[in-house]
Amino acid sequence: MTSLIIVSVLAVAVLYLGLFKYKTALLPVSVTGLLAAAAMAAMDWDLEKMYFSEMMLFDNYAVAFSILLILTTLLIFGLSRNYFEKISNNVAEYYALMLFALAGGVVMVSFHNLAMLFIGIEILSISLYVLAGIRRKDPASNEASLKYFLMGAFATGFLLFGTALIYGATGSFNLAAIASSGAFESALFRAGVLLMMVGLSFKVSVAPFHTWTPDVYEGSPGLIAMFMATVVKTAGFAAFLRLFLMAFAEASAFWAITVAILCILTLFAGNITAVFQDRFKRLLAWSSVSHAGYLLLAILAVGFSASSAVLVYTIAYSLASVAAFGIMILVSRARGNDHLDSFNGLARTNPFLAFTLTLAVCSLAGIPLTAGFFGKFYVFKVALAQGYTWLVVLAVINAMIGIYYYFKVIIAMYMKENANAVAIQLNPGFRLVLSIVVFLIFLFGIFPGLIANIL
Amino acid sequence: MTLWLIPALPYLGALILILAGSKLSKQMAGIIGCGSMGLSALWTGVTGIAFLSGGREPVRLQLWEWFDVAGWNPGVTLYFDSLSLVFTFVITFVGFLIHVYSTGYMARDEGFNRFFAYLNLFVGSMLMLVLADNLLLLYLGWEGVGLCSYLLIGFWYQDPANGAAARKAFIVTRIGDTAFAIGLFMLFQTLGTLNIGAILAEAGSALSGDGAASWPGGPAGATAIALLLVGGAVGKSAQIPLQTWLPDAMAGPTPVSALIHAATMVTAGVYLIARMHGIFELSPVSMQVVSLIGTITLLVAGCSALCQSDLKRVLAYSTISQIGYMFLALGLGAWSAAIFHFFTHAFFKALLFLGAGAIIESLHHEQNIFRMGGLRKELPVVFITFLIGSASLAALPLVTAGFFSKDQILWMAFAGEHGSLGLWIAASVGAFLTALYTFRMVFVTFWGETKTPVTHRPGKAMTIPLIILALFSLLAGFIEVPHNLGHITLFSSFLASVLPSPELITDSLLMEWMSQAAAALLTLGGIGLAYEYYVRNPQSLAGMKRNTGALQRFFHSGFGFDRLYDSLLIQPYTWLARVNRRDITDSLYTGLARFSIWLHRQSAQTQTGILRHYLLGAAIGALIILTISIFI
Amino acid sequence: MLLQSSASSYLPILIQGIMALAFVGITMVITHLVGPKRRTIDKLTPFESGISSVGNARSPFSIKYFLVAILFVLFDVEVIFMYPWAVNFRELGGKGMIEMFVFMGMLLLGFFYVIRKGALDWEK
Repeated sequence: MTSLIIVSVLAVAVLYLGLFKYKTALLPVSVTGLLAAAAMAAMDWDLEKMYFSEMMLFDNYAVAFSILLILTTLLIFGLSRNYFEKISNNVAEYYALMLFALAGGVVMVSFHNLAMLFIGIEILSISLYVLAGIRRKDPASNEASLKYFLMGAFATGFLLFGTALIYGATGSFNLAAIASSGAFESALFRAGVLLMMVGLSFKVSVAPFHTWTPDVYEGSPGLIAMFMATVVKTAGFAAFLRLFLMAFAEASAFWAITVAILCILTLFAGNITAVFQDRFKRLLAWSSVSHAGYLLLAILAVGFSASSAVLVYTIAYSLASVAAFGIMILVSRARGNDHLDSFNGLARTNPFLAFTLTLAVCSLAGIPLTAGFFGKFYVFKVALAQGYTWLVVLAVINAMIGIYYYFKVIIAMYMKENANAVAIQLNPGFRLVLSIVVFLIFLFGIFPGLIANIL
Repeated sequence: MTLWLIPALPYLGALILILAGSKLSKQMAGIIGCGSMGLSALWTGVTGIAFLSGGREPVRLQLWEWFDVAGWNPGVTLYFDSLSLVFTFVITFVGFLIHVYSTGYMARDEGFNRFFAYLNLFVGSMLMLVLADNLLLLYLGWEGVGLCSYLLIGFWYQDPANGAAARKAFIVTRIGDTAFAIGLFMLFQTLGTLNIGAILAEAGSALSGDGAASWPGGPAGATAIALLLVGGAVGKSAQIPLQTWLPDAMAGPTPVSALIHAATMVTAGVYLIARMHGIFELSPVSMQVVSLIGTITLLVAGCSALCQSDLKRVLAYSTISQIGYMFLALGLGAWSAAIFHFFTHAFFKALLFLGAGAIIESLHHEQNIFRMGGLRKELPVVFITFLIGSASLAALPLVTAGFFSKDQILWMAFAGEHGSLGLWIAASVGAFLTALYTFRMVFVTFWGETKTPVTHRPGKAMTIPLIILALFSLLAGFIEVPHNLGHITLFSSFLASVLPSPELITDSLLMEWMSQAAAALLTLGGIGLAYEYYVRNPQSLAGMKRNTGALQRFFHSGFGFDRLYDSLLIQPYTWLARVNRRDITDSLYTGLARFSIWLHRQSAQTQTGILRHYLLGAAIGALIILTISIFI
Repeated sequence: MLLQSSASSYLPILIQGIMALAFVGITMVITHLVGPKRRTIDKLTPFESGISSVGNARSPFSIKYFLVAILFVLFDVEVIFMYPWAVNFRELGGKGMIEMFVFMGMLLLGFFYVIRKGALDWEK
């Protein structure tokens, strides 16, 4: 809870720092604040405290995901020096908005009441609508913002409708009360569950509600797309799983088949459409759709190993995405666009970047010795334990398709030449963040036990 | 317990050399390479002394658990007992000497730093292999060794022939590795664990019960597993039928050959069989197979070595043949005899290779023994040490280490419970061949007139390891002396806690004396014959050469195994590949790819960018979801 | 209030809603049918508070208007939270007081930010 307060106050403080033109202090203050927030979150470990008349519950699940969200944001902030300055004058607002979004994310992973879930999602989403449109003069950015907003509003409608129906069926917003209400047979409850599933599917871009994802990622500034792919997706899935684990687990026989269908749809939509994308950012957007499919597998397997699997997966995915988006930003800034051809010859001009990106896409593809391998491994494992063998087979086929398009960028970097490529300059923040990411991907790829047994 | 330092140090050295290799000076790289090995050897010494002075209790050190899935939790766990100690000692100690030697040998090579990085990685992997507590980790080291041998054999990759040799080594050993992997799967299927201790305990209880019948997989299962493990061992240890890669592996720098032959690679198979002895004891058939493989190999390789003209190839075939002895011993159940022969072999074979390297280097990379000659006076240190090594290889009675270890095997072949007269005769013929080809090599190289001038002489970094290894080649045998000559059993009693000792069917002192005398006579006879033909009376050789030309060519080609495999496997394979250029099985996959492309086109249509299409799609999706639920 | 709330207990509300809608619909239809129709020019002109209509209603006007309007709505709506607090002031006690002050403080921070950013300066 303290960490949530710190994040919120930090956001306001950053806003006011910008108002009084202390631009140089923005980043140090944000970083310090986030570190403090992460530390405070860690202090809540094993306390299992309820807040606000049982509206929020800071259990270990909430703490683990809060820390993940905060640290991912920290990594993104590490890349952001001189980034917003280039595209806008209102730098402080963007830090503040990202922090507000983070606060929303923390609420989403610690809710114990449907109202708090809604509030968390809205805090997160509304900040993002603005962030997507950061580049006010750029029509693509405006389009992204508007599309995201309209689709998001549409989704919120489903979510709220579902919430209302569940309240109607059970008479409570409280997750524990819903779980013990025994109203699982009523049509009202079932419709509510499905509508909430639709609403949440929008937020985590599960097919067929994913259509906004590539357009919004493409139009948004790279760093914001990175934020969406990592923090927002992690928070969304943590909320999805938390809701279905704590409130609807007993009714899983009824919604599991729907989740399985969504999972297949998402896997195929994401992977198949990604295959021939020639822009790296759009490719990453589609890949983020496909990763939502893998994560749905874990939701199918209700039980505590599911949260562990989702945690491992989101850690691996966030790390790899930070590296992939970060290098995409560098390359598109230096070479004019994020077309896959822009990556040609990167191995010669910037071996470190090429290596990092290779590692990142290997992790996304799930190649062993990277964190991503164990992400997929644990997700498949929990799905198999629940008897979804056919689903895992399909997922593995999709993972193989994934390798095809992920390796396109590696081929571009290592096997294609670009005669007039010059080395890309890295600022220290980038160097530090990418080094940390490389280290962690290897660390978790070799010692998955470090993160697999947290929850 | 700081056991983990032993493999960690070479790995650390390799890591530093790989990451910072291009920035380090050769001197620095040499210090890191040798230093890490030296520390590792030192630490092995310290650990070994602690082990010996302590209760000799095996040590198990769990470093971390790799992952934990469905009750299967392979850990990165090290296991240290007397068998591991012997191997670790040889690997680190001989490895260290080879490292030191390499600083001299490779001093003018451009890839100096890369060389040491590979070398360290090689030794680190081998240490991992012998210290592994479970077969999965052992397999990791096993494959690491395979990879490093590939990298090092093809070290001078600018020459395509070296690349081909490296690929051959990699592919041929891979055949064995595949068998090994299948064996591991079967073991896991049968027992649900790959922990060596657990497997041996299971095998032991089966053995003390009603034999293989009480093994969970039945006698057939035990035999299948044992034979698959033999497959892996045969590949790595270059035994028939997978021995063909080793002579070609001479393409690598000579210290690499020394390392491969003495310490790190080919002995892995011996280690594997010795380590898994429990499984083999369950399956007499597999034991017979092992001893048969060993016997055939030692004879075939011995004959082949007789006809080689390349100094390193002679040594390569001699290694194959000596490993054949070890396999013979393993097949006889004379576990500690096999390990003892490995122990002494490591010293004299490293010595011979390093000596050969010094000769080749001095003669400006001349490897043909018939263009050498008269080096006795030119390179005195190399000559004396090489002579000692050769004497040990030929098992010169009483003074060399090789004699004591080989004698034990011969005696076991005769008097062991699985032994037979046939095996003893074959092994004795092998001993004769060994003496013959070894001293043929020595006499041709060091006697006679000088044919190639010596361009420069080896430095201290190269001669000191030679001297140390020469001392060991003489003295290492005295820790285990047959009981009619003094009865010292330091080595076998040291290993007794790990490896059972075989029962003798005859322990007649007379027979033992006879066997030893026969072996000694054969050795001396071989040396004498070599002296006769290559020093005293070389003209008589010319006539024989004419008469037995075909046989010699057959021997020279290593019994034509390469040609056999070429016509039996490679030709049909390439023919099949040519015929099947438009791959039939592939059409399934191209079909799948076409389908994916078609599907992609369809799904790409959804990216219209028009918001109302998106919303429509979502609404239809929601509708379908709600409709589905009606039917559940 | 019903303790056991279920879908069926909302039935009266549904009926009332239908009644309300039906009432509106029926009155409109009936007046349309029953009432006399005299179409004069004055009657057919749009009524705009007695001022004659000028030009197209869809002409663009200053975006600032939206900003001010949205800010108005924002701060106006927040007052809604103060009513229940005022009604339950005694029950909520000191804690409620502090929470409300925090809430007001946040609002004030936002308000100050808006002013400082010049969102309310029309001429800028």
